[in-house]
Amino acid sequence: MQISTINTVKKYDLILVTAAFLLLAPLLTMQRTTDFMIFCVFVLAYDLIYGYMGRLSFGHMLYLGVGAYAAALSAEHFSANPFLALFVAILAGGAVGLLLGPIIVRTTGACFALINLAFNQVGYFLAVIALAEWTGGEDGMSAFYDPVWIFDFGNSNVMFGFTLFCLVCVVYLVRRLTSSPFGILLRTIKENETRAKFLGYNTFLYKLLAFVLSTSLAAFAGALTMLNYTYATPSFIDPTRSVEVIFACLIGGAGNVYGALVGGVGYMILSNYLPNYIQRWEMFLGMALLVLVFKFQSGIWGYFSTLIMARKKEVKA
Amino acid sequence: MISTIAYGLTIGAILYIISIGLSLTFGTMRIVNFAHALVYTVGAYALVSSLSFFGGAFIPAAIFAVLVVIPLAYIIERFVIRRLYGQSIDYAIIATYAVLLIGVDACKWVWGATPISVSDPIGAAWTIMGVDLPIYRLVIIVLSLVVFAALELFFRRTVVGKVVVAGLEDKEATRSLGINVDKYFSFVFILRICLAALGGALYVPITSLHLQVLLLSFAVVITL
Repeated sequence: MQISTINTVKKYDLILVTAAFLLLAPLLTMQRTTDFMIFCVFVLAYDLIYGYMGRLSFGHMLYLGVGAYAAALSAEHFSANPFLALFVAILAGGAVGLLLGPIIVRTTGACFALINLAFNQVGYFLAVIALAEWTGGEDGMSAFYDPVWIFDFGNSNVMFGFTLFCLVCVVYLVRRLTSSPFGILLRTIKENETRAKFLGYNTFLYKLLAFVLSTSLAAFAGALTMLNYTYATPSFIDPTRSVEVIFACLIGGAGNVYGALVGGVGYMILSNYLPNYIQRWEMFLGMALLVLVFKFQSGIWGYFSTLIMARKKEVKA
Repeated sequence: MISTIAYGLTIGAILYIISIGLSLTFGTMRIVNFAHALVYTVGAYALVSSLSFFGGAFIPAAIFAVLVVIPLAYIIERFVIRRLYGQSIDYAIIATYAVLLIGVDACKWVWGATPISVSDPIGAAWTIMGVDLPIYRLVIIVLSLVVFAALELFFRRTVVGKVVVAGLEDKEATRSLGINVDKYFSFVFILRICLAALGGALYVPITSLHLQVLLLSFAVVITL
């Protein structure tokens, strides 16, 4: 592939992403593709923290769950307006991020992963037992949304279109953020936080900002799931499912917007179709994770982009 | 009140036995080892199987369970954890979690997903001030104290223990004294595997949980 082609691809990436998902829809059915796109939003939110800032979180399901439950509670207690639900969910995700962030972002490495896991466990307990009166405990809760103008989310075509629009917006947002000075600073924090501090940056504030952005986006993905399924169950906040998003990030290639998209779709295809053929699905997931960690750390996208880069050098020479 | 304290102490005792192994791992390898929970789980399941083999005799079954886990743990150590030295800690977390996923699924395959309950091996209860305390729980508490005393003696009084402590403190310096630190660390490895499996085996007659215990034991290690 030529350099000019790469640049064209980057220029029209939003259109290409839209086209790719529109092509996937007839192949995999519309409902599945909607699911895939929502998961991609979640993976992008996660990648902001893991891929760009270099902090592995083992409890990101908490923020997804907060979003889903916030959207459901908003429909039950305020109004059945779906946009209000989305707004409330993003606010709730941001609020949880702001509340827990000052504690969480101080840590690195193993502590960061485990403290997230611990908070996720707390959230799971709250949703299943302590706040069961509001969240419905094990049974979960359902909520229905009124159609607003043409946005009737009960209609799968509308849901598909709206999710696609949201995904493209999130892709644009994350790409714009990560190529801005803020994004470069995040990568600096990943590489060497002490140096970033030495240059005079208040790294704590930037880390907190990135964390809150990530939790709000994850909550947004949760709210979209809620709109799509109209019910929220404790599985949305289950800490043992956090590994799914890590896995998706790794197969796609962490620290890259397109890698996150490839990983999200790849993981969802695996998890939707493999259980039909392989019964021991978790075992397969574990082995695939081991292979990724030992042999394939840059993921699918990373693998192909290094291939293209190598090709490019050959052309130059 | 008394029974609450006794029951809490039992769980605390088991957590102590499991997490002392975990904190040894943390010390020797600087790795967050999710696979430790697998050792504990397999220890528990091995006890269930060996109980019927030994005709319900608890002590030989527990010893057998502890011994059975060692080769398994060696395989994990040799093929996964040893490759993680020098990698970033994120990959260590993911890889050991992957091992946990594989192992737990294999356990479900072999033993089924339905919870298996094992009856209290002693059965009798001791009545203190009108409260029934199962003797088995008291035995666990005493056993954890014995483990504590033995480890304390081992690390303070024996040469092997002192070498291990020195190795944890400064591996290079200990090596330069002509001591093969890795040999002693592999002994620590066997020790912690045995302790984790023992914790699992002891826990079975009380309840059956896996990830929750892991979380609790991490909490114990990190607050140390």
